[in-house]
Amino acid sequence: MQEKTAKKILIVEDEKELALGLATLFKAQGYLVIAAHDSMFGISLAHKEKPDLIILDLGLPAGGGLHVLRNLKNSVETFDIPVLVLTAQQGMNLEEDVKQLGAVAFFHKPFEPESFLSRVKDILNNNC
Amino acid sequence: MNKQDKSNKIDHKLVLQELKENPYKKFNIAFVLMVIMPFLVFLYLLTSRLFDFSILIGNIGFILFLTFFISLCGFYIGFSILKNIFNKILSYAAQAKHSDQLKSTFVATVSHELKNPLASIKINIYNIFSGFIGQVNEEQKNVLGICQSIIERMNRLVNGLLDLHKIEAGVADVKRTSFNLGEISERKIKELQGLADKKNIKIIREFLDKGLSVWGDEDKLSQAIINILDNGIKFTPDNGNITLKIYSDDKFAKLECIDTGCGIPEDKIGVLFNKFERLNATKEGTGLGLAITKDIVEMHKGKVLVESQVGKGSKFILVLPRDLRSIIR
Repeated sequence: MQEKTAKKILIVEDEKELALGLATLFKAQGYLVIAAHDSMFGISLAHKEKPDLIILDLGLPAGGGLHVLRNLKNSVETFDIPVLVLTAQQGMNLEEDVKQLGAVAFFHKPFEPESFLSRVKDILNNNC
Repeated sequence: MNKQDKSNKIDHKLVLQELKENPYKKFNIAFVLMVIMPFLVFLYLLTSRLFDFSILIGNIGFILFLTFFISLCGFYIGFSILKNIFNKILSYAAQAKHSDQLKSTFVATVSHELKNPLASIKINIYNIFSGFIGQVNEEQKNVLGICQSIIERMNRLVNGLLDLHKIEAGVADVKRTSFNLGEISERKIKELQGLADKKNIKIIREFLDKGLSVWGDEDKLSQAIINILDNGIKFTPDNGNITLKIYSDDKFAKLECIDTGCGIPEDKIGVLFNKFERLNATKEGTGLGLAITKDIVEMHKGKVLVESQVGKGSKFILVLPRDLRSIIR
């Protein structure tokens, strides 16, 4: 019988305190967590680890989150990994733009942890 | 390449605005110098010699030379003035564009620098509160609950400041559509119904013009409605009433929020719309709601009026022009 493995979440976030908070939240739910603090490392980790979900911040150093999102969605290895976008930026069509690029969900910072977590669970369950 | 082209492009709107506001007088002077003055001189010289044809014919060369010379001077001076005006307009336009960029940068920086730490604090407190890091007793949970409500207050304050800055700096995202004022108000009442129920406050609807539609930014005007409603609920004692009235005349759409609250002293009405002005420090609020409301309504070329009687209640009236579309265009 095959052992059920825990889902893996990649956090690409330059705010280390927020990344730590997210990691704690996900680990408490039994998920595996890996983290990157800039764009390039985020992309390479996504290719190497093939996570079940990517939590992506838009305001990243070294390229920015939109660059990461485009890169992930244009790669045959990572295009099907769901991406949930977080941002502190404000813009009228930001959510639409990000979803058009292929993100499955969008949250403005500071977000409600409960609704955020329930969205993460939904995405991971649909992805089973 | 395209981006650079775009940044070098002159903002024609600003040039037109500048033309409209400033140099009319200078333009008139230039026009007089370039066209009317030479013509008048020519006319004067012509008529002064009109009755003596021999003088006229004898001096025609001189007259033409003088007229041509004066015309040339007029043209030169007029052209110099026009050139100066145009250079000034272009430099104004460049300055205005630079200042707009600074304002947008401010919004982006404030958003990033304040919202990121707020998000970090919020999620980490949630983790402690939920016991993900270790067991937490009731007393500790109470303290964490206080921290959570402070974070919410700070978030509201940051959002309020950003909204206000964006509107005042003219960098707010504006999406104008035509929408029904009654439907929007009904939605906003529903959003605040819970808050009103807690104080047993009855919200009465008096939508006299049910089909009244307004052309403007739906989200922003919704925010203005919610601000005055929220304000009314805050300052109305338990078991009171709030009436939301919508009506119109030929020129204006009007929305009134009438409460049976404590009222506002006359000397305080003048400062009511100032930023951070809180008439009652015991009530929760950022002191920005009414300032934002005023800015939003004024952005739609409207006005916010206040009538109040201490001990009886207050009436806030949002007055919006009905033909807003033609005014803003």
